[in-house]
Amino acid sequence: MCFPESIEEISAAVGIACRHRVPFVARGSGTGLAGGATPVGDPLVIVTTRMNRILEIDAADRVAWVEPGVCNLDLSRSARHLGLHYAPDPSSQQACSIGGNVGTNAGGPHCLRDGVTSAHVLAVDVVLADGVITRLGGLAPDTPGYDLRGCFVGSEGTMGIAGRIAVRLLPDPPAVRTLLLDFASVAAAAATVSGIIAAGIVPAALEMMDAPITRLVEDFVGAGYPRDAEAVLLVEVSGLPEGVAAEVSGIGQVGRDHGARHVRVAADDAERELLWKGRKSAFGAIARIAPDYYLHDAVVPRTRLVEVLARVREIAAAQDLLVMNVFHAGDGNLHPLLVFDAREPGIWERVHAAGNGIVRACVEAGGVLSGEHGIGLEKRDLMPLVFDPDDLDAQARLRDAFDPSGLANPEKVLPRGSRCGEATRAPEGTWV
Amino acid sequence: MTRLGFDPDELAACVGCGLCLPHCPTYRVTGLESASPRGRITAMRVVEEGMPLDDAFSTVIDECILCRGCEAACPSGVQYGHLAEAARERVARRRPPMRRLVEWVAFVAVLPRHSVLLACTWLLLVAQRLHLVPARLGLPRLSPRSLRTPIVPDGDPTAYLFTGCVMDAWQRDVHRAAVHVMRSCGAQVGLPTAGGDCCGALHAHAGRVGEARRLARRVMASMPGDAPIVVDSAGCGAAMKDYGRLLGGPAAAAFSARVQDFAEWVAARGAPPLRDTGITVVVQDPCHLRHVQHAEGSVRTILHDAYRLVETDDDGMCCGAGGAYAVTERDLATRVRDCKVAAIRAAAGAMPFLVASANPGCAMHLDAAGLDVRHPAELLAAALDDPKGAM
Repeated sequence: MCFPESIEEISAAVGIACRHRVPFVARGSGTGLAGGATPVGDPLVIVTTRMNRILEIDAADRVAWVEPGVCNLDLSRSARHLGLHYAPDPSSQQACSIGGNVGTNAGGPHCLRDGVTSAHVLAVDVVLADGVITRLGGLAPDTPGYDLRGCFVGSEGTMGIAGRIAVRLLPDPPAVRTLLLDFASVAAAAATVSGIIAAGIVPAALEMMDAPITRLVEDFVGAGYPRDAEAVLLVEVSGLPEGVAAEVSGIGQVGRDHGARHVRVAADDAERELLWKGRKSAFGAIARIAPDYYLHDAVVPRTRLVEVLARVREIAAAQDLLVMNVFHAGDGNLHPLLVFDAREPGIWERVHAAGNGIVRACVEAGGVLSGEHGIGLEKRDLMPLVFDPDDLDAQARLRDAFDPSGLANPEKVLPRGSRCGEATRAPEGTWV
Repeated sequence: MTRLGFDPDELAACVGCGLCLPHCPTYRVTGLESASPRGRITAMRVVEEGMPLDDAFSTVIDECILCRGCEAACPSGVQYGHLAEAARERVARRRPPMRRLVEWVAFVAVLPRHSVLLACTWLLLVAQRLHLVPARLGLPRLSPRSLRTPIVPDGDPTAYLFTGCVMDAWQRDVHRAAVHVMRSCGAQVGLPTAGGDCCGALHAHAGRVGEARRLARRVMASMPGDAPIVVDSAGCGAAMKDYGRLLGGPAAAAFSARVQDFAEWVAARGAPPLRDTGITVVVQDPCHLRHVQHAEGSVRTILHDAYRLVETDDDGMCCGAGGAYAVTERDLATRVRDCKVAAIRAAAGAMPFLVASANPGCAMHLDAAGLDVRHPAELLAAALDDPKGAM
């Protein structure tokens, strides 16, 4: 394990690992949910927590250069006095690092309108698997050649390690309103989600919570979430005051057309923050029911939300597990939570069986494996559900182009046998 | 009961999400998982599963300041303070003999016996005058006049002021200011009678829970009746509010319910008339006031009429004092303090400023870094319309 304090030190560590043919894994704050930073075997773990400096904030160009260990929320806080913020806001934003966000191409509630991490990373200084430092992307609006930066973002440490990152900062919106809509059925809430987008409104955030999680959250924050609702939508719009006002009334109308029982608009910032506190504490509040949960991450087309949610409940019920849903409805990014107590014998088999079933159901409905958490170890072996052998081989060759040695975070993202003709794994130490 | 002596459900409550990390002062300065709440809980788990309770584990547990900033941040409601105090109790039993001797002298021979502590303080005063006490220790300038002059309590008290051990010896003028303000608010101020020497907070932190319980019983006996107990040391107040859990039983719970921080008591009664001093004050929240007592708002309520209050932007991060921590883990305590001092100076900007701190340990620790630190009671006393007799 090592704790570099500069990109040159990362490069030195990777260089040594390369010479001794030791695999290496980068680790940020350790908040990942797919096991991307989990060491497999006995690799060198390169921890970036000491690289937590914000190197430069250019307010005029709205660009910040940061080290990979900088905490997501710290970046927005540092830019607050300039009226700027960093848009991607994973629920773990107070702890997670920008380097990890780049690795997983992280999302967050406000990525619906503003886009996920990749849309906000302009350039990355990368340490490649042989220790060479190179810049991918650039500050210019369009850099010539292939978009290797786009390739690197979301590569989960398999193409090298980000040592310096240039991110885009957005101006804080002049007006923000938050709405809470409650419904007597999940179907009505899901139809409203599609209706809002179809009406040409792209809210800053559009979140759904189902009945069990809404009651739980309300017990915790007391924000006035309706305990008898089957589903609630938390919608945020922001921008110029006139546009925001029009969107608020438009969303209210769509909601009522689809049977919303109440449309509540937060009166002030305190009420907005209380509503958001409820949404962002949802995972933690689960500890009130059981000590463990397994959080899934999959995406389905918005129009299929209702049937997939019903299917998720059936799958969980078949394994006698409690499932709760709190998720980014606007982009169809489901986060079913399976709630359990790990000390119960045999529980893990049931949790994994249910999890697998949920992911398969999402894929069958035309969805994908992951919305924002990444593939890592967790979903690696499910990759063939969405990619055929040719696709996997093409991806493996892309990875090899960045890292011919295969030392950068091996065993992650691509399942064994992804390379065409690679029936089994080659013996340790041989070149593939 | 588990090997480390705590409720297994409390250990199971941590889901390892990591939201505590940025709120942990030692993680902030080291970047080490083993210096974070999540890492410490992982260490406790592997010890529970049979790993040896060795020096590495002791270090992991000792490096925690027990600021409990992680508890406030934890969405799962992990009772980290309970876990850490229990682990420290177990770790304390395997200290090297020399350290155990020093700790015995401090915790058993001196702190619970106020006359011994005062005698030691006179020796310390002489040493201080002979420049034998390094300034970096943060010992306030001891005053013979203050040490010679006891505070005279009122008869038939309507409120007690708990004076405690080190604070009464080294910072008695803060108590004087507190008594002055309390009298200005119309209270008859009582003091603890014999036995109320020390609240036991430092003992509980050091893993000496049995001694902490003995001291707690003596403190309860020293302030009978049902008058509120005002505490002007945030660490002591937090410990005394926890007597109900420490001792169990209705008497301890009833006693804890009487305990209020000085600022809470003044805020509830309404501050006496104050003049606007125009002075800039950066508010430092002692961890046990903010994360444990949740009384940081009262400090602002009582001071805002008289001072221009300024906030730091570090979410109430710990200053690194942590009772005896500044002595036992000096290197980490200093690095944590450097961050705090930078945040305080940044908040004040170019203005000359004072720092308000409601805890004697924090005050000494920050004072040693060159800041001018005052207790809210002193600030209030100085801003009274009639400041006569404030000191």
